[in-house]
Amino acid sequence: MQCANMLLRKIVRSSVLPFAAQHGMKKDLFLLSRTLSLSLCLKQDKACEPSEKLDLDEWKKVMKSGVQEEVSETVSEPKELSSLAAARETLEMWRLAGRAVPENISEEELKTFMECPSKSAKKKYLKYLHLKELHKKSHKRKMDEKRERRLEAQDQASNTDETKKSSFVYLSSRTMDKVYHWRAAQSMIFGQPLVFDMSYEKEMSVREVTNTVKQIVLGESCNRRTVDPFHIHFCNFKDDSLYHKEFVKHYREAWDKLLITVTDQCYTEIFPKDKLVYLTADSPKVMKKFDHDKIYIVGSMVDKSIKTGLSLARAKRLGLETAALPLEKYLLWSTGAKNLTLDQMMHILLTLKDTADWKKALEFVPKRKYCGFVNKPVKELKKTLDLINTLKTGKGMGRSRKAICQKPPQEVYTKAKVE
Amino acid sequence: MALFSQTSQQGFQALLWKCHMFWPVSRCRQLFAASFSIPIREKINCFSFMTSSSTALPVDPKETDVLPTKKRSEIDCKEEGWDEKTKEIPEEKSHFSSSVGAAKKWSMSRVLPRHKFSNVQPPEKPLQAEEWNKLREDFQLPEMFEEVMLNNMIRCNSPIDVAKSLLTHVAKRNGDIAYNVLVKYLTLCVRQGQVSEIRDVYDIMKVRFKTLESGAYNLLIRGLSNSDQWRMALTLLEEAKKIMIPSRTCYESCIEAASRHQEMKLAFELYHEMLAKDLVPTLDILQSFFNFSRGMKGAELQKQLFDILFYLRENQIYPHKTFMWSIKLWFESIPGGNWRGNLTKIKDSGQCPVCKQQLEDSNLTEEEYSNLSERIIRDVIHGTDTFRKTSPKEFEAFQTFVENRLPFDIVIDGLNVSHIKSRKMQCENLFDAVNCLAKENARLLVLGRKHMLMNSSNWKREIMKEMQNKADFFFAENISEDDAFLLYATLQSGKHCRFVTRDFLRDHKACLPDSVTRHLFRKWQRGHQIVFFPSADGKGIRFLPAFCYDCVVQTTGDTWHIPYKDVFEEKYSYQVPRKWLCIQQKL
Repeated sequence: MQCANMLLRKIVRSSVLPFAAQHGMKKDLFLLSRTLSLSLCLKQDKACEPSEKLDLDEWKKVMKSGVQEEVSETVSEPKELSSLAAARETLEMWRLAGRAVPENISEEELKTFMECPSKSAKKKYLKYLHLKELHKKSHKRKMDEKRERRLEAQDQASNTDETKKSSFVYLSSRTMDKVYHWRAAQSMIFGQPLVFDMSYEKEMSVREVTNTVKQIVLGESCNRRTVDPFHIHFCNFKDDSLYHKEFVKHYREAWDKLLITVTDQCYTEIFPKDKLVYLTADSPKVMKKFDHDKIYIVGSMVDKSIKTGLSLARAKRLGLETAALPLEKYLLWSTGAKNLTLDQMMHILLTLKDTADWKKALEFVPKRKYCGFVNKPVKELKKTLDLINTLKTGKGMGRSRKAICQKPPQEVYTKAKVE
Repeated sequence: MALFSQTSQQGFQALLWKCHMFWPVSRCRQLFAASFSIPIREKINCFSFMTSSSTALPVDPKETDVLPTKKRSEIDCKEEGWDEKTKEIPEEKSHFSSSVGAAKKWSMSRVLPRHKFSNVQPPEKPLQAEEWNKLREDFQLPEMFEEVMLNNMIRCNSPIDVAKSLLTHVAKRNGDIAYNVLVKYLTLCVRQGQVSEIRDVYDIMKVRFKTLESGAYNLLIRGLSNSDQWRMALTLLEEAKKIMIPSRTCYESCIEAASRHQEMKLAFELYHEMLAKDLVPTLDILQSFFNFSRGMKGAELQKQLFDILFYLRENQIYPHKTFMWSIKLWFESIPGGNWRGNLTKIKDSGQCPVCKQQLEDSNLTEEEYSNLSERIIRDVIHGTDTFRKTSPKEFEAFQTFVENRLPFDIVIDGLNVSHIKSRKMQCENLFDAVNCLAKENARLLVLGRKHMLMNSSNWKREIMKEMQNKADFFFAENISEDDAFLLYATLQSGKHCRFVTRDFLRDHKACLPDSVTRHLFRKWQRGHQIVFFPSADGKGIRFLPAFCYDCVVQTTGDTWHIPYKDVFEEKYSYQVPRKWLCIQQKL
């Protein structure tokens, strides 16, 4: 900007506006300079160029000079890096470039990274690690803050110097745990069995297996806390399988003390076939009510790629009865897959068992997946829904279908629902 | 644009005037906005208000605001926030802000809306370090300032000097520039083709960092390949190979550079190298070969280009219109080749109207047939678990059923056909279709599900009975996949057998694990699928017959037939182009 000023000053000095400059009345000067601008256009001046002060290439000098010292230290030795070290270098550069890459990466993770089959897989894995790291950090920060707050509170408490004696019976968490264990033990003898079918390891990626185990652990813990727990069975459970490894990771030494039945046998060998019901979203049959004499089977599988009909195939092969939750019947479904997570399943089944109230049980379906509860079956509401859609989009179902017909042929899925 | 010290604003105005002459048009508009935004009234103000204070300058924020006019209106709506000190000032004096600093802050807030970084307007001219500092302090996330600023420079394609001044400021402040900032600067250089700058940045990076990462290599290669130093891009490509598999766009840049400089041999070497690395070449690469080989002689070169055409054939790629023109022009430019290209449409009979040549028929060879049926049975029907789509027992039953009644002429997907008109009963739709197809004395097989046999509002028993006199029916279990049966029955019946469905069979194609079989499947589908739709009058049903010729790039030696797409975008794999380029050699 100074260039402009200097230019102006030149003009000023060059006798055009001597009075203005002397009087320091810049306003006038500027006003006049505006009128002058036309004549400026005609001049080929250097006003556009940066002033001497602003050396645009200075940064290069800085960079080069700053580097000289480093270079003398690390005269880039042309030795071949090991592949691991090379990968580390690459990651470091990516991090500098601002990609989602973790700051610290263990050898094991690095190996996993290198084994990723494609570029996109690598990217995804790195992003996952990066996010994990961020979560860890923020968690740590929160914990530290909490600790500080607690210490402050303690200080204040010690200042007041009053030992509070409450007349309440204090229940320590250990006492609670004992109660839960007793209940679980009771359920081991008298409880209704609930089977987790552990035969899906082959169909899953490592990450899916870990997610599965996480979900089961959540489900198991909430089962333990209920008044009347299920007797949980893990069937088709192979020792030293990936499932097993993950469970041990979660439960550590508690794994052997868990009050559940773990077996490598199939559920058909343990229970009478006619009592088994395989719960699967692909089932054509819809569950009407929770039956206390039946033994429900849940497939322990997380399915991130769409593998339809896997659990239904299992049930068909063994000739078992199948059932799906009546999600359509009770909920106005909006988006998302109808297969729920294992812990959600657990919650729903427990609620059904205790209350037999579908509305209450289906509270555990994620809110984002449905718009609301339905009192009447959805079929009867179809007309109303169509009307709503018509008002929303400005075209009805019938008409839109007609429009399709005039377009090039469209794929029509004609899978009639079986009532 | 409130980046200038107050004292020089007016001078800047004048400068802007001047620059009209030299700046690109897009800038001009902004400048006009800037230079004409001074209301007339204000000019008068300059005369009427004379204050002794030297700082009381007419500060019309609009005056210094070089936002594009479009944006200004938005901001005017949002930002009526006067600086607190100026709030009390009566209307007519509001042009005079009480202090320079306040005015500056005020106009800063209009340059940097508080919620979106993308609205940060980079300055028009290089700034001094202290000016950058000021900006940085006013920015809500100072640690991200450089990055955001450079991103916006890239977005607005700012002059490179502005970016340089920012880098200089950063270098002075930290004694170092972060890698991501350098990469962003590099992006700006590449966009503007500043070759010397690109080289400088590369030199600095080379010294400063042991290795570079893929993003920087991509940029460097792209930037240098478009310059006269394109050979350096090749060396960079070699360097990049050490740490990664270069992206196909890297190869694209290098190949285009090589062929632009008539180094066809080198270009083809690179091309084969990328094929060996399992990279799928972009259509631009293939097109550039044709573009730059125009008028060149050489049997070897010709063979290579023919190979590219065969590559299109093998992978069932249809070139788009501009690519097609490149091919046509290359053929016509072959010295002594006497090739002539014409655009045409192929008749349904499969004859080319231009050269009267009959196109290849769509039939598969015996070997391909058996191969495809095997794969359909293995991957589509059985897959990982036979129970997923059917059951072994049911499939066996179906197999015996088909074998006892072979061969069929047409296999119909009953449920799909029954949905053709929503107004009609499903069984009537099916009845119409069966009647239509049965006229020619063909043996029909209709596939359905068991629920069709239950007398219901949509499936009347009498009509079903009547239909069963005209065609064979097979009812699968309600939870079975009937499409897989459709494919199997058609393939078992042999070459002449067609099938009727509106389904594109994408999910079944996806079950086939390798691309060779998938292409085979598509070819077979094109040649055997009859698509139907309600006729325009809404009464009858019309059928689109299956193609009797194969829709791929093909040659007979002295003719080439190349199907092409109208638009660049990728067509669905089940759609086939109707337009062809016919090239014939007049000897």
